[in-house]
Amino acid sequence: MNPANEHLYEMLRQVSGYIYPNEVEFHWSILIVVYPYLTGLVAGAFILASLVKVFKVKQLQPVYRLSMLTALSFMIIAPLPLQMHLGHWERSYEIFLTPNFTSAMAMFGFVYAWYLMVVLLLEIWFTYRRDLIRWTDTDKPVMRFVHRALALFSKDTSEEGEKFDMKAVKFITIIGIPSAFLLHGYVGFIFGSIKANPWWSSVLIPIVFLFSAIVSGIAMVMLLYMVVTPLRGQKIEMVCVDKMASFLFVAVVIDFSLEMLDFIHRLYESEESIKILSDLVMNKLFISLGIVQVLLGMIVPLALILFIKLFRVDEELRKLFYFLGAILIQIGIFATRWNVVMGGQMFSKSFRGLTVYKMDITGIEGLLMTLILLLMPFAILWVLIKVLPPWDASPSPSLH
Amino acid sequence: MKRLLQKIPDSLLRVGSVFIVFITVVLLIRSLIPASLKNSEEHRNATVEREVAHPVKHAGSEVCADCHEQYELKKTGYHKNLACETCHGAAQAHSEDQEIKPVLNRKREACTLCHLFNPSRPTGFPQINPVVHNPGKQCITCHNPHDPKPPRVPKDCQACHEQIERTKAVSPHVQLDCTTCHTVNEQHKITPRVVKANIPNDRTFCGKCHANDSKIKETPKVDLSTHGEKYLCWECHYPHMPEVN
Ligand code: HEC
Ligand code: HEC
Ligand code: HEC
Ligand code: HEC
Ligand code: HEC
Ligand code: HEC
Ligand code: HEC
Ligand code: HEC
Repeated sequence: MNPANEHLYEMLRQVSGYIYPNEVEFHWSILIVVYPYLTGLVAGAFILASLVKVFKVKQLQPVYRLSMLTALSFMIIAPLPLQMHLGHWERSYEIFLTPNFTSAMAMFGFVYAWYLMVVLLLEIWFTYRRDLIRWTDTDKPVMRFVHRALALFSKDTSEEGEKFDMKAVKFITIIGIPSAFLLHGYVGFIFGSIKANPWWSSVLIPIVFLFSAIVSGIAMVMLLYMVVTPLRGQKIEMVCVDKMASFLFVAVVIDFSLEMLDFIHRLYESEESIKILSDLVMNKLFISLGIVQVLLGMIVPLALILFIKLFRVDEELRKLFYFLGAILIQIGIFATRWNVVMGGQMFSKSFRGLTVYKMDITGIEGLLMTLILLLMPFAILWVLIKVLPPWDASPSPSLH
Repeated sequence: MKRLLQKIPDSLLRVGSVFIVFITVVLLIRSLIPASLKNSEEHRNATVEREVAHPVKHAGSEVCADCHEQYELKKTGYHKNLACETCHGAAQAHSEDQEIKPVLNRKREACTLCHLFNPSRPTGFPQINPVVHNPGKQCITCHNPHDPKPPRVPKDCQACHEQIERTKAVSPHVQLDCTTCHTVNEQHKITPRVVKANIPNDRTFCGKCHANDSKIKETPKVDLSTHGEKYLCWECHYPHMPEVN
């Protein structure tokens, strides 16, 4: 009748079974899929970096700075999907200024400020301070000013100053690890604590989110490293990539087991929602969960890495396998987020019906915007690499 | 004091000052944000005020009664529970200024929104299949939207109970008329909600044909005293499609 509702009637036709009126349309669009995906990459990349500083995994030194910058550039974009989703972009920044402890969602401002300001920016600043000062000697005028300003006009190149930096970096990394866990655990918590939704409501969700975050972060840094290094005309350090792949392997195994645990647990508990959830998994999510997330996103990459570990494979093939595996993992983790966010909205709380998600192409919550949001971190990373070249580091005393 | 400052490493001092500036700026901007966005109690009060301030769009059906006879017509018909504005859209503006016209949708889709066959609708809710139900014609050529009734009294039960009729047609009870089991006053076909049809109320009813001592020949027989114990037969067998097992 009312032309404004025509779209609703169109949706109604695709509903199967019985469903409450407010469930026909999705409230959380694809942007809410992008949000946990991006934060996951932040947390994962940071944890990779902390392996170098806290656990002294020397082989990973070449990617330490790259992973910090990766974490930062994804962190800058991570809240954007949320803000666009809020509908009023012109005042969406207020979520940062009015955080509140009354609900998990309202705490976002605290979590974000803590992680960005206290952890990421500080650690990067202390890591780069001395190099920033050093670079000003050879810089061109504009860049010289940028570097000076970024060093906060510090000129201190003394030994003590540098020692202090190193201590600071270590200290921040140590608080950074729980913070990174917190950041992504928090995102998982938002879903896991929604009691009314059996697809989300699970204490395992924050942990599953965390490990999938680590998986995606490591895979992303690996990809970036393997793309950027040849572009710079340098040789990829296979020791480093091999090490990353080993960590990746462990992380995927843990992630996989946790998800299987969650799955078996649900099956065994067989709560009243089990029928509709199996319907959901077998029909609506079969491709994105069964094929993309589990098969392509986990099992195939695991097989690829395992193959490399078992047989002596030459370098070229290794690179190819790692590259393929890392890309599959990215797609798989994106599918994981999709399955959580979309899956939770596809079935009715009456447990008797299913609906569908219809993605817009244009529009603020559409596909194009999603692609832009997914590409923006890379643009930022490109700028960051120009301003703060990760490979031009003075030898760091903390590792000797 | 100066000594103390000198003891703090240069870098910490710089970062510290940046943080102090940053926090001050944030607090400053925050102080510009209205309290209703920061304090949950004030937030709730403000929400009420904001909602109350919205312009009224719907007028309610009583208002229409002053000017439109459709109100009286609708009051006793099947659509008595539908608000005028369900079909005509929000009409507060129209009741203030008649130059503003409400929605007038004469399309079939306007009716099938509610009357399209959908198994999740309650039993007895009038539903039709628009593909076979007088296709190509506006519904309002035969039904008055303000007092909808079937334009003529349907001959058989199928007009309104199509689902049951179709079910029975492929069941062992296919040869039984509806009226074998239901006593129906002719008035039921005109005002089904006022004059209801009758439903069998005990086991002996089915026993007429299925008890061991029944005279009817071609039916399967059971021992009424033991079979199904004290339950009604239709707690186990759907009467319009009795199945065994
Ligand atoms: C103050 C008197 C008044 C009230 C109250 C009023 N209407 Fe009307 N309405 C009119 C008049 C007069 C017309 C005829 C206008 C014309 O024919 O040009 C009209 C026309 C209409 C039409 C036909 C529009 C068309 O395009 O032909 C509809 C539908 C309608 N009204 C619905 C409503 C509903 C629903 C309400 C209650 C919410 C309502 N009206 C309340 C006076 C009123
Ligand atoms: C089921 C939907 C429905 C409801 C409920 C409904 N109407 Fe209508 N109304 C229609 C349709 C359809 C028409 C067009 C009829 C036609 O063109 O013959 C219409 C026409 C009208 C007209 C214009 C009559 C004409 O002949 O131009 C008025 C006035 C009107 N309705 C008022 C009301 C009022 C007042 C109420 C509430 C008491 C009401 N309607 C409830 C569907 C509805
Ligand atoms: C908002 C939902 C809604 C819309 C739109 C609607 N109806 Fe109805 N209709 C109802 C309800 C509710 C009943 C009463 C059913 C009952 O008594 O259980 C009903 C009853 C009827 C009946 C009586 C059926 C019977 O049992 O004899 C007819 C005919 C009918 N509507 C025709 C129409 C036509 C024609 C339109 C389009 C102009 C229309 N309806 C639009 C909800 C709607
Ligand atoms: C005009 C449409 C219409 C026709 C024709 C019609 N019915 Fe009904 N019947 C209804 C509606 C509507 C109800 C639901 C009444 C209610 O639940 O308030 C109903 C209910 C019933 C019930 C259930 C009563 C109850 O108490 O739950 C039986 C049995 C029934 N009808 C039998 C028949 C039989 C047999 C015929 C044919 C002789 C028939 N009806 C013809 C509309 C119709
Ligand atoms: C050509 C006239 C005609 C048209 C057009 C028409 N109907 Fe009917 N309608 C009837 C008749 C006659 C009956 C009585 C039952 C029967 O004989 O099928 C009826 C019965 C109904 C019933 C009652 C069924 C029940 O189960 O109680 C509804 C509801 C209904 N029509 C809705 C509609 C809707 C909605 C449209 C438009 C999509 C429509 N009709 C178009 C003639 C018409
Ligand atoms: C064998 C006897 C029998 C025959 C034949 C039969 N019914 Fe029934 N019907 C019943 C019984 C018994 C009930 C009560 C079922 C219950 O309460 O669960 C019933 C319930 C109903 C109801 C209300 C519950 C429902 O399922 O919607 C309607 C309407 C109805 N019958 C219509 C019909 C119509 C129309 C026909 C013919 C097409 C028919 N019945 C033929 C025995 C019969
Ligand atoms: C007027 C007689 C009559 C009445 C009353 C009657 N039935 Fe039947 N019933 C039959 C006939 C005839 C058959 C079909 C036998 C055949 O096809 O072999 C049958 C078959 C059955 C069957 C067996 C189906 C099968 O697959 O073998 C069941 C069960 C049944 N009826 C249950 C009921 C119930 C329950 C009632 C009461 C609501 C009932 N009947 C009332 C005549 C009746
Ligand atoms: C507690 C559930 C239950 C109730 C109540 C019940 N039945 Fe049955 N009925 C069954 C089951 C199960 C079968 C099939 C297994 C069997 O043959 O015992 C059956 C079979 C039948 C058969 C087919 C027998 C054959 O030999 O093919 C008839 C006829 C029948 N029932 C009639 C009735 C009648 C009449 C009543 C009410 C007096 C009734 N039933 C009540 C469960 C029930």
